[in-house]
Amino acid sequence: MDKLIHLWEVTGINQMTAGQGVMILIGMLLLYLAIKKNFEPLLLVPIGFGGVLANIPGAGLAEAGGILHIFYTVGIESGAFPLIIFMGVGAMTDFGPLLANPKTLFLGAAAQFGIFATLMGAVVLSYFGIFDFSLADAAAIGIIGGADGPTSIYVASKLAPELLGAIAVASYSYMALVPLIQPPIARALTTEAERKIKMVQQRHVSQREKIVFPLLLLILVAFLLPDAAPLLGMFCFGNLMKECAVVDRLSNTTQNSLINTVTIFLGLAVGSKLSADSFLDMTTLGILVLGMGAFAIGTACGVLMAKLLNKLIKQPVNPLIGSAGVSAVPMAARVSNKLGLEADPHNFLLMHAMGPNVAGVIGSAVAAGILINYIGA
Amino acid sequence: MAASNLMTEGLNLMLVGMGFVFVFLTLLVIATSIMSKIITRYEKGVGTLPEEGIPAPTAVISQAMSERQHANDDKSLITVLSAAIHKFRSRK
Repeated sequence: MDKLIHLWEVTGINQMTAGQGVMILIGMLLLYLAIKKNFEPLLLVPIGFGGVLANIPGAGLAEAGGILHIFYTVGIESGAFPLIIFMGVGAMTDFGPLLANPKTLFLGAAAQFGIFATLMGAVVLSYFGIFDFSLADAAAIGIIGGADGPTSIYVASKLAPELLGAIAVASYSYMALVPLIQPPIARALTTEAERKIKMVQQRHVSQREKIVFPLLLLILVAFLLPDAAPLLGMFCFGNLMKECAVVDRLSNTTQNSLINTVTIFLGLAVGSKLSADSFLDMTTLGILVLGMGAFAIGTACGVLMAKLLNKLIKQPVNPLIGSAGVSAVPMAARVSNKLGLEADPHNFLLMHAMGPNVAGVIGSAVAAGILINYIGA
Repeated sequence: MAASNLMTEGLNLMLVGMGFVFVFLTLLVIATSIMSKIITRYEKGVGTLPEEGIPAPTAVISQAMSERQHANDDKSLITVLSAAIHKFRSRK
């Protein structure tokens, strides 16, 4: 009888707390969104499953010594996984459209205002005592507005590790929601005539320019903002491997098998942060709301900046490509393209929108470097 | 006290951060434009790199080897053919 009671005591049913039950359901919800609704499945499947695993009562997968905890310590606490992903993203990025029209970098800069506005929003909320965010927490929440998963995880792991689960989930779900969040904002801020603006065909960009650009970016980062060097350094390295074309084998590995492998472990490790005591909290709700705000403000600023640019320079600029200034490659660029086609079926903006889109990646990595620098100092 | 301090810190970070992002990307725009100009001018003289990049070194060696072999084969073939033609014509 004693043995039977002991067996009962170690079952999940006996040990399960309400919070764990809810978290398992949330994990299942993420899996549902990923599988059925196709929301960033590459990340939400591992994150959702990791979330379920982390909340199995008594198994302790996410506690010290558990396998998910090991993934977390090795990959995220050390900052390694987001950086490796960034290298892969670099190897998949084509800077051609950006080099053809470098002024689109301003759009990528403007869209980063979402990050800082949200940071301010979080600070104001704690000023009025609604939430209790420190400056570091506020910065980590703001970076959701960069719409860049690996950057968000990197910054959160440095500045606010206890909020990492919520921040990663928010940033990846909003990236999946880009096609829903952006169009109404972009439409509201532009007129029909502006959406019809046709942009000049891009000039041809030579291979030499593409090889020199990552090196140029790296030198600029090294001189001006060494705190952004981990992120942008890996990004430039990946890109150089792709463009120089003498290490195709390395470049292929980086943009396929390596990034896939790391994504699996990154997702599971983020999932391990979805434990009931840290996730089931009003703070998470606050992060989700603020993150949405960050996205919306970033999109709006990008569009407004594009309108300004259209006034200032001779070449016509369609304001729709401004919304691609939030990173979310290539989703945001596709949204711009779709809106352009809606206004005029012959207006193809995809290549023009890719410029601000990759500029957004650079912009949010720079912003991340500043946040880490300011708060770390 | 602590709360208002947080506000000023936040405002500071916002201004510094946004300012720096713009400065950095402006410099990048300038540097990129200059780089593109220099390279375009340079390439007018020397021609562009092939679109698919510089072929990998191993490929170069093997290709060059086989090309040289082909060239040799062709040379001996031409010698034989021209000798045969010469003979054929001289017989007439």
